[in-house]
Parts: sequence; C-alpha cells; structure tokens
Amino acid sequence: MDLLLTSAPLLARGAATTIYLSVVAILLATALGLVLALVQLYGGILLRIVVEVYLYLVRGVPLLVLLFAMYYALPYAGIALEPLAGGIAVISLYFAAFMTEVFRGAVLSVPAGQWDAGRAIGLTTPRILADIVFRQALRVAAPPFVNTCIMVVKGTSLVSIIGLADLTYVGKAIVERTLAPFEIFGVVALAYLALCLVLSRLGRRLETRLNYVH
Amino acid sequence: MSVDLGFITRIAPTLAQGLATTVALAIPAIVLSALWAIPVVAGLMARSRLVGRITADYVELVRNTPVLVQMFFIFFGSGVLGFPLSGFVSALLALVLQNGAYVAEIYRGGIRSIAQRQAEAGVALGLTKRKTFAIVVLPQAIRKVIPSLSNQGILIIKDTSLAATISVAELTFQARLLADRTAAVFEIFFTLALFYLALTAIFAGAMRLVERRVRIA
Repeated sequence: MDLLLTSAPLLARGAATTIYLSVVAILLATALGLVLALVQLYGGILLRIVVEVYLYLVRGVPLLVLLFAMYYALPYAGIALEPLAGGIAVISLYFAAFMTEVFRGAVLSVPAGQWDAGRAIGLTTPRILADIVFRQALRVAAPPFVNTCIMVVKGTSLVSIIGLADLTYVGKAIVERTLAPFEIFGVVALAYLALCLVLSRLGRRLETRLNYVH
Repeated sequence: MSVDLGFITRIAPTLAQGLATTVALAIPAIVLSALWAIPVVAGLMARSRLVGRITADYVELVRNTPVLVQMFFIFFGSGVLGFPLSGFVSALLALVLQNGAYVAEIYRGGIRSIAQRQAEAGVALGLTKRKTFAIVVLPQAIRKVIPSLSNQGILIIKDTSLAATISVAELTFQARLLADRTAAVFEIFFTLALFYLALTAIFAGAMRLVERRVRIA
C-alpha cells in the first residue's frame, strides 16, 4: 500500500503522457483516416494506388518495427525527431490506416439505392454525400471507430520501448527498482482499463446521439 | 545515403534466426488463441449468469489493457512468485490470453449471425438443440468467421514483435541488435519490414486457401 502511495505521483505523470499521446494520436489518425478514405473512395487511380500500398505496408508491419525504424533509421536520413513528436507521428500514421478501413467500410455500407433516391429528388452529388451518405455512414462507423480509439490507447504503450515516460514506462521503471510487479503492473493495467472504459462509454453516448432519428 | 544490397545478404542469416523464433511463437499463439476462445465463447453464451458475467469481465479486462503490460505482468510477476517463466512462454501466454478474448468475440458474432432462423429450421426438422448447433449452425459459422480470423492472425503475428521487449530473440530483437552494432540501420529495418510483410502475406494467403476450400459451391 505504501509502495502504491509513493508511486502514485509518478504513475499519474505517466498516465498524463499516455492520455496526451492518445488524444493527439486519435485526432491525427482520425483526420488522416478520413482523408485517406475519401481518396480511396473518390480519388484518382494513381492516388488510390498510393494509399493502397500505404495501407498494405501498415497492415503487414508491426507498430514496434515502425517505431524502431523512426528511432534508429530516420536520423540517418537526416530527420531527427524528438521521441515525443516521433512517437505521435508513427502511432498516428499507423492507426490512420485502421481508421481509413473503418470510414471506407462505413461509406460503402450505405446502399446504392440511397444515391439513386438522392438523385431522384434532384440533389447534387455533394449534397447527397453530406446529407444522405455520410450521415448514415457515421452510424455504421461509430462502433468500429471507438474500437480503433481503444487500440490507439493500448498502442501508445509501445512508446515506452523508445524511452518515452508513459504509463507503461513508469510502471516498468518502478518495478525494476521495487520488485513489486503485481501491484504496479496491476495498477497500470487498471489505469488503461479505466481510460478505455471511459472511451467506450463516450462512444456509446456518441452512438445514441447518431442514432437519433429526426 | 544509399541502400547496400550486399549488406542485406550478410544480415539475412541473423534475421533468419529471428524469423524462426517469430514463427515458433506465432504459430502456437494463433492455434492456442483459436482453441482458448472456444471455452471463452461458451462462457460468454452460457445460460448461467454468473459464468457469463465472469467471462465477460475477463474479456473486457484483457481487451482494454495493452498486451505489452500483460507480458510484463506475466514475465516479471512469475519471477517474483518463484516460478520464473521464460520470455517466450510469457509472451505466448499474454498473446493467447488477449487474442483468445478477441477470437471469442469473433466466434460469438459468427454464431449469432447464423443462429436464429437456421436454428428454427433445425428444430422444425425435428433436430435436438445440440444437434442443430453441431450440424446446422456450427459448420456455417466456421465458414463465416474465417476472414475475421485471418485478420486477427495477422495482428497476432505483428504482436509477436513485442516479445523482443522481454528478451525473446525473435525477428525484431535480432534487428535491434544489428542496428545497435552497425550503421546500416536503413537496410536492417527495410529487410525486417519485408520479413514481416512476407509472413503476413503467406498467412493471409493460406487462410484464403482454407476459405476457398471450405466454401459451399
């Protein structure tokens, strides 16, 4: 108990880093994911191929490998990123691929008949997209979007390996000095659980809002 | 900066050793996750509310905590308890505990998507509930979940890289050692990425073969 009390401020600081990383990475991944999904759906063939290759690479290579590549290899290319900025960049780029699939799948799930209906009542393509397709796609996208956000929060734990003092890093550092892995990693796990549960609670509220029928 | 192809052929043997360990970790992790998910999905769909509650809590817990923290918990925790597990076993356990929960949800989705009308049809034919499940629902559900299983398997293959952090000498671990010793890190990580791409592509291809094999014409 004493140990947990003395470790609490350190763990709290680690949690703050984890939350900061998660929020920034979720925002960036969502924005990039939206853009990439739109490119995939409505972009030219060349752009689509570029995005497809990008998605393929990210799907097949572990996040840890990408983090190491950023950490070890980029400086040789003359790009030296701060660990924090680099971590955020890699995590955002990685999960942007997952977000792309979420948004693309959601838009494609809207039946083609909805397009015909929009045209039949004389709407222009942008209006059909905004008022009919995207509005319905959002409802479909909400649950997998929340799942991906949870994956981002869990994924941020990997920055501990490149030396960023997030929750996992702080937990491991304390365990190495105190040899109390159950207490410390238990608390760390519970902190992640709490973060993710808050996210899924928010997600459920978002879903009920989106499912509200005018 | 130029990419040195000769160098890649020199590091390939070291990486190949790591590859062997990665495969030796990934295969049991995938197979055991698929097997462990069977009792988990049985628990999730159990009639007993207590069993359902406990299983659901387990699934929530492991799905909402990073697999890296679970690995550390098992690896460092087992040492303190007096029966130190190797990094390999700790990583395998963590991967199976986490992915078993994900796969159980996949199974549940598959069973749910078949169950209602097909089960009614089975009962209408005079089959018992058990028989309906075994010969009507299950064969269709298995076919339905193969693409999702394939995706989960790819995630497992990628997550085996985390074992590097508890000093399992798999692919990423070997690559990092090489990167610490040489200046040609670009070539190392390029090759490393290719190895993972090849692994996941082979696995995805194999799963597509299975899918085609069991498809009903």
